[in-house]
Amino acid sequence: MTSYRFRERVLRAILYVLIAALGAVFVFPFLWMIISSFKLNRDVLAIPIRFFPPEWNWMSYVNVFTKFPDFNFPRLILNSLVVTTIAVLFCLFLAATAGYGFAKYRFKGNNVLFTIVLATMMISFEAIVVPLFILVRQLGMQNNYWGLIIPESLTAFGVFMMRQFFYALPNDYIESARIDGANEYTIFVKLGLPMAKTALLALVIFHAQWVWNLLLWPMIVMSNPDMRVLPQGIALFKGGYNTPYPEQLAVSVIACLPILLLYIFLSKYFVKGIAMTGLKG
Amino acid sequence: MRKASYSVNSLQKTGYVFILPTIIIFSIFLIYPMISAFCLSFFDWNLLNPMKFVGFKNFVSMAGDGRVINSYVGTLHFSLISVMAINVLAFLFAMMLSSRLIQYKNFLQSLIFLPVILSIVAVGVVWEFMFQSTGLIPIILRKLIGISPAWLTKSSAAPYAIIIVYVWKSVGYYMVIYIAGLMDIPVTYYEAARIDGAGFWSQLFYITIPNLRNTIALGVISCIIFTFGQFSLQYVITKGGPARSTEVLSLLIFKEAFEFSKFGYSAAISVLFFLTLLVFSVFQLRLFKSGAVGE
Repeated sequence: MTSYRFRERVLRAILYVLIAALGAVFVFPFLWMIISSFKLNRDVLAIPIRFFPPEWNWMSYVNVFTKFPDFNFPRLILNSLVVTTIAVLFCLFLAATAGYGFAKYRFKGNNVLFTIVLATMMISFEAIVVPLFILVRQLGMQNNYWGLIIPESLTAFGVFMMRQFFYALPNDYIESARIDGANEYTIFVKLGLPMAKTALLALVIFHAQWVWNLLLWPMIVMSNPDMRVLPQGIALFKGGYNTPYPEQLAVSVIACLPILLLYIFLSKYFVKGIAMTGLKG
Repeated sequence: MRKASYSVNSLQKTGYVFILPTIIIFSIFLIYPMISAFCLSFFDWNLLNPMKFVGFKNFVSMAGDGRVINSYVGTLHFSLISVMAINVLAFLFAMMLSSRLIQYKNFLQSLIFLPVILSIVAVGVVWEFMFQSTGLIPIILRKLIGISPAWLTKSSAAPYAIIIVYVWKSVGYYMVIYIAGLMDIPVTYYEAARIDGAGFWSQLFYITIPNLRNTIALGVISCIIFTFGQFSLQYVITKGGPARSTEVLSLLIFKEAFEFSKFGYSAAISVLFFLTLLVFSVFQLRLFKSGAVGE
């Protein structure tokens, strides 16, 4: 018995050491990003390497906003916030209404239409990016928030998730609300949505991080420098001539913050949302 | 629900109103562009001149275009290695973090998960610094094993630099999927197995893996689909270089259309992209359909 407990303790110690080492490896680049953003330009890639700045430089965070008129970063951050917020709301609207419709009503063609929506999962964005650009251009939505937002608000997975969720809700409440004379849309807003809070919040963080990080589609549809989003700005900033290193890192740190904050508040739902993609065996 | 206890037909038709916005938007912005990608692939077009029908010319030139072939092979190479590494590591980490010997699981899990929520462009910026010749990684490697490849300037090393960053960025996501799957396996299975004297390996092969079959299938397949379209890291870190060694398909689709104005040709590459993933997406669709309740 003692040998068994001894083995278990050794195993536990090994596991902790391994996981701690892994954790360090996974967190380190982010720490390094933050620390190096406070270094002087000459210290970022200096040899010998020093983790902490030999001399602290706080100015990079100010310079990013003031010294680079070609990259209007305050404007780009605003663009990113606007686009992300609206795209998330729009995505919630589409997924919640469709999910509810498919789950709670038995109309003709329900199954076929749901299968078609699911089948759009097979269409990868990269495969339609060219015709989509032509379409958005024809609709006059180039360099326009909507041209960026609408194509990135569609998620068949969101519809699927909401349908699963609403399907699991008992119909009794809906029935009794109907008997009380409530109309269908009121029932959806006042009964359905509040009950779907978990799924909706999971979708919020999921979609927010998706839209916030977009690069390919904004590069195609936003050519006007004032309409760019933050990741696009950073990519161009980095590729620019003689861009100082700490400023590149400072703006990168800034780009990580909103989703990091959202995650801190909604991590429970994010993990649940990912788990839902795993489907039950 | 199935009994249609309330057979008011007009009431059920309200469902159409609920699904209408999704049906319209999906048709315009997903289904129509997909069809039009197929059509466009039979044309020559630079957006300015009138479109010119060329039949299969784009596909024929693609087959002999070294740049497309290089890009296709590069994407396969990138995807194959990344998907294997991500899923094997994610499974391992999930097993470690699900061990009953471990506490503080949520905290430890969130450390490995952190890269998932970081901005991918920001991640590209940092890792590029770390891979540079006087950056962190070459210096540490030279200290540890004496040598370090020129990560970003040698075409044999650059694809691996991108793979390392991508695996680091993504593994936490799949780990969470596997942890959720592991938690769904009833503890009693393991207890019964232990009473029967089954060791770690037999538990793994006779309980864990068979019970995770669907989770693993979905993890691997969605990973393949995501990975095949990866664009950001290659664009930010290497811009497809050196010597086009990291010019993946989505990057080439972008360049052919928006740098060289060959929209028809680019659409033809998109079709190739779509067809390559079709097998996997059909399989993914079937998994989702089988997981859908009330079918």
